[in-house]
Parts: sequence; C-alpha cells; structure tokens
Amino acid sequence: MEYYLGISQTIGVHTLLGLSAYVLLLTGQLSLAQVGFFAIGSYVSGILTVIFGWHVLPALFVGALVAGVFAFLVGFPALRVKGLMLVVATIAFSEIVRLVFFNLNWRVEVNGLEVGPDSTQGFREIRYFAANGWEQAHVVLLIWLIVILVMVMLWWLDKVRAGAVLRAVGEDELAAQSSGINLTMVKVAAMTGGGVIAGIAGGLYAHSTTYVDHHTFSILLATFAVSYPILGGLKNVLGTLMAVIFIQGFIIEGLRFMGDYRNILFGLLIIVAMNFRPQGLVDGNFTSDVRKLLRMKQNGAGADA
Amino acid sequence: MNFDHIDVVQSLIDGVLFGSVYALLGLGFTLIFGAMHKLNMAYAASSIAGAYVGLATITIFAVPTVLAFVVGPLAAGVVGLLIYISCFQFMPRNNLLAPLMASIGALFFIDEVIIDQTAGSPITFPVLLPDAYFPVGEYGFRGDLLFIAFASFILMGVIVFMLYRTKMGLATRAASQQPVASLLCGIPTHRTNSTVFILAGVLGGFAGCLAAAAVGVLSPLLTLPLTVKGLIVTVIGGLGSIRGAIVAGFMIGALENLFLLFRGVNERDIYVFLVLFLFLVVRPNGLFGTSIDRD
Repeated sequence: MEYYLGISQTIGVHTLLGLSAYVLLLTGQLSLAQVGFFAIGSYVSGILTVIFGWHVLPALFVGALVAGVFAFLVGFPALRVKGLMLVVATIAFSEIVRLVFFNLNWRVEVNGLEVGPDSTQGFREIRYFAANGWEQAHVVLLIWLIVILVMVMLWWLDKVRAGAVLRAVGEDELAAQSSGINLTMVKVAAMTGGGVIAGIAGGLYAHSTTYVDHHTFSILLATFAVSYPILGGLKNVLGTLMAVIFIQGFIIEGLRFMGDYRNILFGLLIIVAMNFRPQGLVDGNFTSDVRKLLRMKQNGAGADA
Repeated sequence: MNFDHIDVVQSLIDGVLFGSVYALLGLGFTLIFGAMHKLNMAYAASSIAGAYVGLATITIFAVPTVLAFVVGPLAAGVVGLLIYISCFQFMPRNNLLAPLMASIGALFFIDEVIIDQTAGSPITFPVLLPDAYFPVGEYGFRGDLLFIAFASFILMGVIVFMLYRTKMGLATRAASQQPVASLLCGIPTHRTNSTVFILAGVLGGFAGCLAAAAVGVLSPLLTLPLTVKGLIVTVIGGLGSIRGAIVAGFMIGALENLFLLFRGVNERDIYVFLVLFLFLVVRPNGLFGTSIDRD
C-alpha cells in the first residue's frame, strides 16, 4: 500500500508539473523554465515551514506566489524572443536557479537542531508532515485535491474567452495579433500561471520527499515536464494526465526490472512518438477520428436494420 | 582578494583559446539552424559521442592519439546523419516543436547509452602535447590550447569556404532561404540538409575531442554544459550568423574564465547565463543577427 501511495504522490506532482508546461504550450511556447519555478517553489515553501515554522498550506501558497513572480519577471525578457530562442533562454534560467540553490547556504538553529539549505549537501530537514502527524494517505489526498483543483480550473479556462485567446496565439500569432490580442500580455500571463502551478508542485514535492538538492532540478526534469503535454497532446488536460500515468506508472515503475534501460527507452519513446504523431498522441485528428468511427458504426447499424 | 593584471590577462588568454571549442559548437548549431531553421538539441551529445568513439578506438586498437581526432569526428558525422533521419527528415516542415522535442529525446538517448556503456564514470582522455608551453614575457600559452585554437580556425575556414565558394554551399544556402523554390529548381533539399548535418557533426566531433583533450577527462556530464554553452553562443552571436557564432564563442570562453577567476567554479556559470539574459534584454537579435530571423 505504501508503494502505491508513493507512486500516486509522484504521479500527482508530475501531473502538476506537466500542466504548468501545458498552459504555456497552449500559446505555442516551449519552456524548459518549469523546473526553475519548481525549484523556487520547493525551496521557498521548505524554508518557510522549516526555518520559520509556518503551516504547510500558507507556505505552499507563498512558494507558488514567489515562483509566479519570478515567472512574470523572466517572462518579459524571455518572451521578447519566441520559439527556439525561448528554449535556450529558459534552459539558462533553470540552470541559474539550480546553481543559485547549489550555492545557497542558510543554516539556522531551530529547537536545538541546525536546519536549512546546506549548499551542495541539499536541503534535508523538510519534515513538516511527519512532525505534525500527517499520514502518507493524507499527503496523497492533499496532492490530488490540488491536482484536481488545477485540472478543473484549466478545463474551465478552455471553456471561456481566456482559453480561446491562449489557443489563438498558439495557432497563429499574426492572426491573433491582427484581431487585437496583445501577444506579450497573453504569453507573460501564461508564463505566470505556469510558474504558479510549478511552484505548488515544487512545494508539494519538497514536503512529500522531505529532501531536495540541486540534482533534483536538472534539465531532465524540465524535459519530463514538457514531454507530458506534448506526448499527451494539447487537446485537453486529460492528455497530460494520461501521459504522466503512462510514463511514471508504466515506463518508470512498471518496467522497473529493466533498470537503467528505462531512461534509454524514454529518449527513444519521444523520438518515435514525435515522428508518428507530431501533434501529440491525442490531437484534434485523433478525437475527430474517434467521433467519425462512432458515427460510422451507428450508421452501419442503421443500414442493417 | 586582489588580482594583478597578469592573472587577469593570463586567464583571458586561456579563456579565448578554450573559447574556440565553444565557437566550433556554436558554428555547428548555427549551420544546422541556418539550413533548416530548426534547433538540433542533440548536437553537443553527438559531439561527445564522437569523442567517445575516438577514445574507444585508440584504447582498443592501441593506435596513436592523433587518430582519435580522425575517427571521433567521422563517428560524430554518422551520429549527426542518424539524428537528421530520426528527428528531422520526416517531420512536417512548419512544425518547430516536434523536431525540437524529438532531438531532446535523442539527447537523452545518446547520454543514457554513454552512461550505460561507461557505467557513468569519467574516463581519462590522453593529454595532447603535454610538454608544450610557450612563455611570452610574463604570460604563457598552453600548447594544447594553441593547437585547439589553430585547428578550429582551419576548420572554420573550411566551412566558410564550402558554404560560399562551392556548388554544394550554394545549394545549401538556396535550400535555407527558399526551401520550396529550391526544391522546384531541382535541388535535393533532403540531401543538402543531411550533408549539413554530417558536416556539423564532424565539426562537433572535433570540438568534442578538443574539449576532452583540454579538460583531460571524458564524461557524460560534459554533454549538458556543452549543449547549453553552445546554444548560448549561438543566441548571443545571432541565430544563423556564422561570424556571430565564432565571435561569441571566443567571447564566452574569455568571460567564463574571468568569472572563474573572480567568483570561483561554483558560481561561474550563473554569470555566463546572466550574460545571455543581458543580451536578450539589450540585443535580442544577438551580435550579428537580423531582425527577420528571430525564431
């Protein structure tokens, strides 16, 4: 049971990470900065609960907010350039964040114990849940409540004008601009939203694993974050969830017997998937094909009768 | 801490000389970007893979070290071609994200294969010209770094010559400017593109060997820093600009060594990346980029 709770924690956190990349991908921008916001969220909320003794919920909130502010600040210079240059800029941002935390040393004595980020040794004592009598099931519940909340919000976003604006920018920037949409505003807003979601994910990750260090926030994690929505397709949020369950549940956990070959498989999987379905596994054609197939079956049944 | 001017100038000299590795990598990224208007994220990984093949050849067959600099680039060229076929050839022309994502997949694939084959531990790369050191007054030039810079200049010259003085270069530039029109004129764009990938791969393989020789070890940990530095050089030089990539390569090499001197190894890269952001704010098109080629 512990094992499955552990997996569902991982899947929950990674879904949030994937959704944070999903928001920005709707506007057609591929960002590898998500892992930087994730790192900011985890360190800020960790510092708040460990050093300042905050409750975990406001700490998560503040962590998400700080990550959002950084996303907003980074958004302006980074989104002046688009597409491929944005990828380079966001990689650089994530690496800056990682290196800053790599160098961050802030040891404080709390209740006779020295705690806090210890530069290269990482940030070890984020034991809020254990210290306050939370069981693992409660943590899983909290993570999934937030996941569902975010998914519902993004689902709702797609039904209103804001979602249409995001997709319009993603489909054709020129057309969107000529119908009076402020491109920079939309992209920076999407970046900020993605940053907030990644910040929450980071806080949840730090508190559920009790330990983070700079290795956690590698470009590999950033690649995972963008690969979920790209593999799952941008048609709706469920695609991202499906991709996370497939990659984390099946490839990472289900194929555990394959050991390190799983990482090789992950790279191959991306290459193969992109060659055969460049728009993602669940793209517009896929859903309309399914609808057509259903209709044909109905019509076929009607003709027989 | 105080540094006299000798330290500063000496670290500038070493940095500029090592910067030729970045210039070569940036040139490769730029060549591929110039030809297809797409980024090949697996480029530095293919360079390191080439260096590994070169190292394996000289260790297994016990041949002179120089041969690593022949076999390595050739192997990297083959890897480059494979990357073109697997990540670029069959993608829709106007879809930028799919090949980008696929080449990130290829980056991790190559990286993980290397880690799997070497058990993740770094391997010593034979030192090039161990005794060569040329003192000039108060300063000195490391022989291997001089060789690296010299070799890079020759390679850059060859590439520029091929692009601007041969028929193949003409075809490549045509395919870059107007892919459809050049196809209609009978230029086999897939062939010119794959030639560019092979050429860039050879260039990268050479850069990979040079970097490994200068550092002294070959490790899968080199891939990501080289990828990021190569990309930064490409962006600072202006995407698609050849002279920009070369100038920016030497500039980043020099700045990196200065930051190393002033701030230490742990903080060095923070400042290098901040230089990139400075450029994004002040000159988003890079040193020599044109405003049309912004994506």
